[in-house]
Amino acid sequence: MASTDEELVARSRGGDLDSFNQLVVRWERPIYALAYRTIGREEDARDVAQETFLRAFRALKGFKGEAKFSSWLYRIALNLCRDWVRRERRQPVAQAPEGVDLVELASEQTPSETIEDLVARNEISAAVARAMATLPEEQRTAILLKEYHGLTFQEIADMLDCPLSTVKTRLYQGLTVLRRQLDREGVGKARW
Amino acid sequence: MCEEKDLLVSYLYDDLGDADRARFERHLRGCTDCRDELTALRGVRADLTSWAPPASELGFRIVRDPKVVELKPRGASPETGRGANWRAWYTPAAGLAAAAVLVLAAASAIAHVEIHRGPDGLTVRTGWNTVAAQTTASLPAPVAPALREASVTAAPAADAATLAAIEARLRALEASHDSSVRAASMLSARSSDQELLRRMRDLVTVSEAKQTGELALRVSQMNREFDAQHAADMQKIQSIFARVNASVDADATMHREWASYMLSNSTKQK
Repeated sequence: MASTDEELVARSRGGDLDSFNQLVVRWERPIYALAYRTIGREEDARDVAQETFLRAFRALKGFKGEAKFSSWLYRIALNLCRDWVRRERRQPVAQAPEGVDLVELASEQTPSETIEDLVARNEISAAVARAMATLPEEQRTAILLKEYHGLTFQEIADMLDCPLSTVKTRLYQGLTVLRRQLDREGVGKARW
Repeated sequence: MCEEKDLLVSYLYDDLGDADRARFERHLRGCTDCRDELTALRGVRADLTSWAPPASELGFRIVRDPKVVELKPRGASPETGRGANWRAWYTPAAGLAAAAVLVLAAASAIAHVEIHRGPDGLTVRTGWNTVAAQTTASLPAPVAPALREASVTAAPAADAATLAAIEARLRALEASHDSSVRAASMLSARSSDQELLRRMRDLVTVSEAKQTGELALRVSQMNREFDAQHAADMQKIQSIFARVNASVDADATMHREWASYMLSNSTKQK
């Protein structure tokens, strides 16, 4: 039976490196995904994810377990992303593919999906990336944590140090902006 | 415009208690704006699921170093640093093999190790004891003629003339020695001690001259053998270097093709 995050953290704090590496394996994908969707660059997102675990390892003694380990990691990753944006002095980049590589797409194809569906999904993905890049950081972060990482409103509020109602407002505003952007690109209307 | 946005968001994410859910669903039945907005936002949420980050090789792991704590990609040696990729761990095995052959060739030349592949299999011989004739005979066909030629040219015409002169001188001395011995034996009965001493001195002189001639002959022969051996060794070293160069060239070609293949693959993936 797999150990819980809390058990692995406790063993890691006792000096068990393998336990910490199990946490790394468990959380590297979500952390990388959060970084990528925040800054939009694969290579930099990978660096941010790597740095997140390094910092977490170094600060493990100071982690008291008041928040979930994953929330703590997300917070570290978001801070690093914020530093990256500040350092690079630019908005997150929407990396929309310029062309559609059918061979590459075909590898992502599910058995029930036609190649037309696949191309359409790819176009929607690119449109979403562009629309997300237009959002203010607070709205984008709230949507990322809720939509892609399944955090509760309360967890997001705790992580971002803001009231619960603020989180909901940011979500509503962000989703509304996305809706307009996607409508403008013809994505939303195509769906409905 | 309806003011129930807080509830709408909670309902959208299924984060309402039973009482609040029932209340908001009653509101929805009478509010077209909220119904439309709920439908639209559900559509946005569905669109968001299509946005996935590119598959990236991660595989981080913490490696404890006595001095440094760093993150390394899994499978990497502790010596490789951050940002290293597959290229950093790529071992140019063919290049190392070529270098090893080069070292072996140099070592063979120094230690005079002969490695010969013939019909009887692989023969390894060490040391400097083999004479030029044996070396020449044991070499592969393309090398042997060149060595024979080298052996011939190693004894210049001047040496041949010197040898002939020395040989003639030796014969003359031997003849003189024989006649002296014969004369001495005939005169022994009536020679004085002084005469005997003089003849003995002559004999010693003849013997010394003969030894000197033999020594010159042997030195000359040793020179020839040495030159032939040197020529054979040089041929062998050149042959080994030629094979090493060919191997290195082949490896370089293979690496270029491999790099080109990787580059084209990388360009396709992008």
